Amino acid sequence: MPMKQLPETQRRAIVRTAVTLALIAFALFVYTLWRGMR
Amino acid sequence: MATAHHDEHPAGIMRWLTSTNHKDIGTLYLVFALIMLFVGGTMALVIRAELFQPGLQIVQPHFFNQMTTMHALVMIFGAVMPAFTGFANWQIPLMIGAPDMALPRLNNWSFWLLPFAFTLLLSTLFIPSGGPAGGWTLYPPLSAQGGMGTDFTILAIHMMGISSVLGAINVIATILNMRAPGMTLLKMPLFVWTWLITAFLLLAAMPVLAGAVTMLLTDRHFGTHFFDASGGGDPVMFQHVFWFFGHPEVYILILPAFGITSQIIPTFARKPLFGYESMVYATASIAFLSFIVWAHHMFTVGMPLAGELFFMYSTMMIAVPTGVKVFNWAATMWKGSMTFETPMLFSIAFVMLFTIGGFSGLMLAIAPADFQYQDTYFVVAHFHYVLVSGAIFAIIAGAYFWLPKWTGHMYNETLGKWHFWLSVIGFNLAFFPQHFLGLAGMPRRIPDYALQFTEFNQWSTVGAFLFGFSQLLFVAVVVQTVRGGKKAEAKVWEGAEGLEWTVPSPPPYHTFATPPRIK
Repeated sequence: MPMKQLPETQRRAIVRTAVTLALIAFALFVYTLWRGMR
Repeated sequence: MATAHHDEHPAGIMRWLTSTNHKDIGTLYLVFALIMLFVGGTMALVIRAELFQPGLQIVQPHFFNQMTTMHALVMIFGAVMPAFTGFANWQIPLMIGAPDMALPRLNNWSFWLLPFAFTLLLSTLFIPSGGPAGGWTLYPPLSAQGGMGTDFTILAIHMMGISSVLGAINVIATILNMRAPGMTLLKMPLFVWTWLITAFLLLAAMPVLAGAVTMLLTDRHFGTHFFDASGGGDPVMFQHVFWFFGHPEVYILILPAFGITSQIIPTFARKPLFGYESMVYATASIAFLSFIVWAHHMFTVGMPLAGELFFMYSTMMIAVPTGVKVFNWAATMWKGSMTFETPMLFSIAFVMLFTIGGFSGLMLAIAPADFQYQDTYFVVAHFHYVLVSGAIFAIIAGAYFWLPKWTGHMYNETLGKWHFWLSVIGFNLAFFPQHFLGLAGMPRRIPDYALQFTEFNQWSTVGAFLFGFSQLLFVAVVVQTVRGGKKAEAKVWEGAEGLEWTVPSPPPYHTFATPPRIK
């Protein structure tokens, strides 16, 4: 049985969650380096 | 995101290279973790063989140092973390009624970064300067002076870190967005809860490690002086940054183990988990506290008294939510209709032996006492009780618990019980004497020792070999179960509750294409 595509709202919510979390992780990496330089 | 694909999948190697299926990727993680368990275990046996007698017998001190360093890196990042991610991949979608992980292609990449990262790391053993030898904590100035192996290690750690962060993003996105209708957060199985909290720990901790090793790399090659005292830097800062990652990492390695145990004990006690909500709050409390205790790893660097006191008391506070968990597991078993199949045996051993590790952790938390224990075998005994009889026993328990679901066959219970008893005896023989060695002053990470430590070291080595070789039984059981055996029913265990037991064993390639409704 073919898999059904997720509804568009759910797809958008997943991308929003993932992008937000990725930005948080990158910000923490940059913050660590910035604190190291102070 | 879960896109349209069909039940057919590529055959042979392409199935595994290109898979976006959570079950296939879960299997890849678990097989990888098992291989790494034996790679890291072999290194442990080299260490224990050398320590069987005082003096230098088998390996050179520099190689011994590489073994202690690599053993830790391989076990932490190669065995325990990927094993838990394997469980997460297999179980989270099945437990929350989702068709797959939220980001299946990212899932594929998260896994396939790992074999390359570990090839890079292990290849350092074959380059002229050898592998990293300054301990898995990579403290400068030692790590700043190491050979090219340290640079390879830094790059490998970056790759593992990216893999972990992407995996964490996937877990969070899946749990927050793909639960079946009616599955509210407080209806989720505890394994899913512990993984959700672990994923947030990963997300907050791994970028800090990446920052620390990036600064180490620029100190080594690009003229910076972050940790170089002669250039105005501070080597102690590395320890602070490293342990800000390192202590949450300890809980990354143990929270999913709590989750697995919380699935198994109610099943074989045939009672619902005692204090479900308190378990969730205890897990969250442990996660929060894990970020404010890091300097208990460095009591002897010369902190102000107020700092020592803060980190001492905050560390002791972790015993409270952990105690709640141990109490709840015991209360779940209390007056339960218990049976003792292999997963339950490993889970009961987990509770008892992890608690011993917790108590020695409390001893280490006492700052003035830690001045005595710091860098001795007492610390080695402590964290092996937490990580071997803690994390690894839970992983083994989970494997026995879900193997019939994954393969469709029952495992050999007799062999499973043999595996359990040999593991428990071997483990305790290997690590309990190390408490005494540490209290008597034997330092860790040294290939030689004073004569009076010989006997306990010999017991420890015999135990380590018994524990190590008994894991071959586990491989035999797994291979046997994958190849055949008595057919497993959908609900493998009489007392099992949850969505994963509503699908056939083995589950079809795609499950929950239509989400179930949770009442």
